[in-house]
Amino acid sequence: MPTRRMRLTGAAAAVTALALGLAACSAPGGSRTAPSAPVEEITAPVTPEQVAELGEVTLNVWADQGEQDFMDQLVPAYEAEFPNVTVDIQFKSFNDLTATVLNAMNSADAPDVAQGNQGWATDGALVKAGLIRPLDDVADAYDYRDAAGDAITQLQWSEDGSAFGEGAVYGMSPDNQMVGLFSNREKLAALGLGTPTTLDELEAAFAAAKAAGQTPLVLGNADKASAMQTFSILQGALTPAADTREWITGAKDADFAVDSNREALDRFAEWVAKGYVSAGYDGTSPDDAAAAFASGEGVFFIGGNWYAGAISDGAAFDFTPGLSDGDYASSGSFGMPWHVSSKSDATLAAIAFVGMVNSPESAELLAGTHRVPIQPVEAAGDDAMFAALLDASATQLDGAGPLYWYDWATDTMFDTFTGGLQEVLAGRESADALLERVQSDWVDFHTD
Amino acid sequence: MTTLSPPRPGPARATGSAPRRRPLLRRYDWDAYLYLVPAFAFYLVFLVRPVVESIWIALFDWDGITASEWVGFDNFADVLADPQIWQATLHSLVFVVFYALLPTALALVFVGAIARIRVRGLAAFRALLFVPYILSTVVVAISWRWIFAETGPLNTALRAIGLDGLTRTWLGDFTTALPSVGIIGTWVMFGLAFVLFVSGLQNIPAEQFEAARLDGAGPVREFFAVTLPALRGEIQVALVLMITAALRNFDIVWNTTAGGPGTSTTVPSYFIYREAFVTHQVGRASAIAVVLTLLIFAIVGAVMWLTRDRDAAAPRGGTR
Repeated sequence: MPTRRMRLTGAAAAVTALALGLAACSAPGGSRTAPSAPVEEITAPVTPEQVAELGEVTLNVWADQGEQDFMDQLVPAYEAEFPNVTVDIQFKSFNDLTATVLNAMNSADAPDVAQGNQGWATDGALVKAGLIRPLDDVADAYDYRDAAGDAITQLQWSEDGSAFGEGAVYGMSPDNQMVGLFSNREKLAALGLGTPTTLDELEAAFAAAKAAGQTPLVLGNADKASAMQTFSILQGALTPAADTREWITGAKDADFAVDSNREALDRFAEWVAKGYVSAGYDGTSPDDAAAAFASGEGVFFIGGNWYAGAISDGAAFDFTPGLSDGDYASSGSFGMPWHVSSKSDATLAAIAFVGMVNSPESAELLAGTHRVPIQPVEAAGDDAMFAALLDASATQLDGAGPLYWYDWATDTMFDTFTGGLQEVLAGRESADALLERVQSDWVDFHTD
Repeated sequence: MTTLSPPRPGPARATGSAPRRRPLLRRYDWDAYLYLVPAFAFYLVFLVRPVVESIWIALFDWDGITASEWVGFDNFADVLADPQIWQATLHSLVFVVFYALLPTALALVFVGAIARIRVRGLAAFRALLFVPYILSTVVVAISWRWIFAETGPLNTALRAIGLDGLTRTWLGDFTTALPSVGIIGTWVMFGLAFVLFVSGLQNIPAEQFEAARLDGAGPVREFFAVTLPALRGEIQVALVLMITAALRNFDIVWNTTAGGPGTSTTVPSYFIYREAFVTHQVGRASAIAVVLTLLIFAIVGAVMWLTRDRDAAAPRGGTR
């Protein structure tokens, strides 16, 4: 007589066998998605008449949470111009969006328009899987290519997604995000100093602030990314920006383990050792650090121009791009690029949407939400901080340009770089050891 | 053999007649299994199938979208050879101490104490202590980030009593980040253990305590002779729940330290998330998940075996 145990075992075996049968019939994944409809090339901005031919359509859009203010103005303008289109827009946090957009764009009811993120992990994967449409024609038709200048390479990919920084433009992004130096004007004046523009001046200001009992540099690195962004001001001043960009986009034989980067790391660690950096930075969130700086703590804060929302008083604070030593290079890139799905059945409406988001006409709307447009805009009004942001953006784009972000270099670089930088700053790892790890991560990625 | 097997206890049959002999297959009401089909189908589709699929995917090199490549057990070999994964596993084992052993010990001390005294408003205390367990872990993480911050209440309290030397950014310090995250787990899990043990305590017949006291047992003796053995089942359940939570911990780590500083608080789930959603190595992510699941099974199995009811075979007195 079968025992209860035997019967249960038998049942479990049957369940497993059945489930294996369900699952194991094929290898996961499919082949490259073929675009469902022939891609229509455009030569001029899409007209309402062209879009009207589509009949009543709903345009599904996935956007980052940060776009909400801009979209609140742009979507009504779009629907007014293209009355047969209803825009159904979903906002997601940055982490949610970048974690799910690839699967969403691969699904049967993919959004027509979605934001991605430059670099291999998101945009590269979207291109490789054939999920987004090349936008060279759109970039030309909407006067985008000129406005973007050399920094357009961050949106370019080879057709198979294997090379970054060359090939067709696959996304368009209307705003410029960059790391810069926020300084407290009043405290600098009290120290008898102006806003520093060279590395030596900056370090002299740190020393003077420290001697006066001030915190020279306020940092919050609980997100691990902020120290890496701060580092870019130093690294951009010491290493040619073009070298860094080539390394990030994966140019053959590029090398990050060079003397100037070693010096940048050593100097940053020295800032910490000398007590220039606010205590407990690894356990402080960058938002808290920015808020503390805005309320008068410390003399400098290095961070993205998006912190101008917290550090908003242009009379009290200044924002300047990287240092003149490196022709104003610092980490930066355009915002999250907008993509057109290659599966869209309303491609023209989608192109019209992405075109409008990135058009010169929308730049004023964008500036109205205090974001820095790539397309030229009129004066910033009487907002001194926003004027400083526009100046800094123009100075950097005219100068050495943005360095992009180090973590774009490989899909694991964020952890390698940020975790390692924490170790170097804490004096637990040498600059050499980190550079070696960073470069071997890069080599591993590019030899796969 | 069938003829000799004793009649099994079961639902009362028709009265009056002697048990009829039935063929083996008819001994059970197989029809009854029909009622299990909907639940079983649900279980199969939403639980068994994903698990088996994860195991299957772990055998491929796959980015989650494009065609995959069969690599056999390479992903597993790769994962097991990765020092980062081992380091993360070690952190998880440290979390077992903070998430399971410490709350159990603390809750037992509390229960031992209240077993002898009448606590007014016990229900209110119980509810209050259980609150951390039902709070969203994101809320918990944000609250504790504030408590552990450079200018947070913990450092303020230390300064107030003159222990300035001990102050630090607890979550940002290489030596204190891991135990600090662990303490958060202790705080969350304590309520669960306490509530389970109190309900177990209430099932112990008062006579047992009276008997112990009449025999002259002090509080410690009473705890080990009456309370602790009676709570064996509850302790087992609590340990299984809490150890599982410790080993698959992700949300609290992600929302307090994101694995940092450096790699001092990484956990296996962190790598599963990263490789599945950030670096798109779905095969490797599945391999880590499978290894983690086996580890959880092994540890939970060991705990259940160690805390098993050794007297189960013998008839037991009392109501428990």
